[in-house]
Amino acid sequence: MPEPRSPAARPRWWPHFSSTLRATAVTARLGRVLGIAIAICFVTGLLSEKQYHPLTWLPWPATPVWIYRVTQGVHVLVGTACIPLVLVKLWSVYPNLWRFPPLASVRNALERASVAVLVAATLVQLVTGFINSLDWYPFGFYFVDVHHYLAWVVTGSVVLHVAVKLPEIVHGLRTRVADDDVLTEVPPEEHSLDDAGGAPEPVLAPATPGLSRRGVLVAAGAGIGVVVLTTAGQSVTPLEPVGLLAMRQWHRGPQGVPVNRTAEGAQVVDLAQDPGWSLQVDGTSSFRLGIADLEPAATAEGRFPIACVEGWSVGASWRGLRLIDLVRRAGGDASSTVLLESLEPFGLYRTSTIAGPQLVAALLATHLNGRRLDVDHGYPLRLIAPDRAGVLNTKWLSRLEVR
Amino acid sequence: MTAHAHPVPVPAVGWVRLARRVLGAVGVGMLAYGVVRLLLVAPLPDLFHLLLWLVSALVVHDGLLSPVALALGATLGRWVPDRARTYLQGGLVAGAMITAVAIPLIYLEGSQPPEKALLLQRYGLNLTVLLALVAAVSLALYALRVARDRRSDPAAGPLADEDRRVR
Repeated sequence: MPEPRSPAARPRWWPHFSSTLRATAVTARLGRVLGIAIAICFVTGLLSEKQYHPLTWLPWPATPVWIYRVTQGVHVLVGTACIPLVLVKLWSVYPNLWRFPPLASVRNALERASVAVLVAATLVQLVTGFINSLDWYPFGFYFVDVHHYLAWVVTGSVVLHVAVKLPEIVHGLRTRVADDDVLTEVPPEEHSLDDAGGAPEPVLAPATPGLSRRGVLVAAGAGIGVVVLTTAGQSVTPLEPVGLLAMRQWHRGPQGVPVNRTAEGAQVVDLAQDPGWSLQVDGTSSFRLGIADLEPAATAEGRFPIACVEGWSVGASWRGLRLIDLVRRAGGDASSTVLLESLEPFGLYRTSTIAGPQLVAALLATHLNGRRLDVDHGYPLRLIAPDRAGVLNTKWLSRLEVR
Repeated sequence: MTAHAHPVPVPAVGWVRLARRVLGAVGVGMLAYGVVRLLLVAPLPDLFHLLLWLVSALVVHDGLLSPVALALGATLGRWVPDRARTYLQGGLVAGAMITAVAIPLIYLEGSQPPEKALLLQRYGLNLTVLLALVAAVSLALYALRVARDRRSDPAAGPLADEDRRVR
């Protein structure tokens, strides 16, 4: 078994890495999976951002009804799986942190700085994204903006990293995992300058007593597989029974649907249940609907999921009034934009706007899964449209403005 | 074990050089866009907190988590015979993957109103179940390996582990 050759300049107290498990071939394989995962998160994340800031020339579609459920479910699931994945990836290159000498050249210093940015931004992006989906906000910054632009920093750093490491990546992916040289704090260039400084000659593949390199990949893959299986239940309904680590459980929500903002949290419990409630519709011909007008008019039905930016989603049956009917009555049409206002006294999402395909497909729902809306689901009247992020389906409606 | 060569720097063939330039430019562009937008959009206190998060992430990961994990690995290498260590390491790696995701869930369980159907499970118990499962699978694989070794070399017996340690 070849000993890792040590460059003479290294002080004795400098960390010496003796494990033979690390190799560029291992890192390249982990990096390939992580890179693909980050690309998936980046693209699905940008799609979701366009829910909140829609492009006027390309509004979000309303069919097929499962698009947002899939893209956002994938975003959160893949992001969650990236947390353990990035830990293994970083384990595989940890000795690089202790390269000697620490700063060999300006180029070397720049490369180290870019890796520091990559590692810090990726860790923060994954961890804050995950705990945000747990409705915990200990950030000290506005999550939405930071998550959006940090995604550019992370993905840009990954692309730059691939450019810098491309020769190593090509080598790593072309080399069998078991055969590749050990990765330690000693750079590979110094390995080949060993002894007489002669041409490198073929040597035996490094022995890995205990777990093999392939074993590391298999064990990490199995652990990450368990994470995916046990967390996916919050969006992949059939997996809910094995959802031991699922954060949301749709069947425990009122009427079989989870709630993101409760009536109590929004401070609308009394306002929403006031028998004098009415919906003001403003347009070229304004009108008002009272609570007694809703039930007779609520004949339109739709079956489509509610999907939250936090990744959870569940299919549901909705009944109510077609929004487009009210828009036409107020003097608008399918090309109108509608502002919806909630009874909520405050909050980032007390209003929303809807236009395009979603406006045509939208319901003002009175019923969910066959029963009158629970107050937590937006009683007496809420917006629901397919492929629309959960928080934009305004609840406890009080006013519509047709433009 | 098979023969192999030291990593030879990949020759700077045309496509590698071109791909590096293109990827480098795209990467720097995206990175710069993100940084500039952050600086423009986020208020100063937000940026300060973000910086705090970024630095803490490096310190906690590189200065705390990694050394602890490496120390654990080194301890195992010293005290556990190779054959058993294979399966112990495998189980620990898989278990660590699961635990990393479970810890925030355990910390936050029960923190939300029940209507949200959020964090209502007993994640500590669930993690224990999953780790027990990982341990059971690792043990079963180890038992299979021991049985297989016995069959192929009945004379080796329980001393096989000791032999493997001195290699």
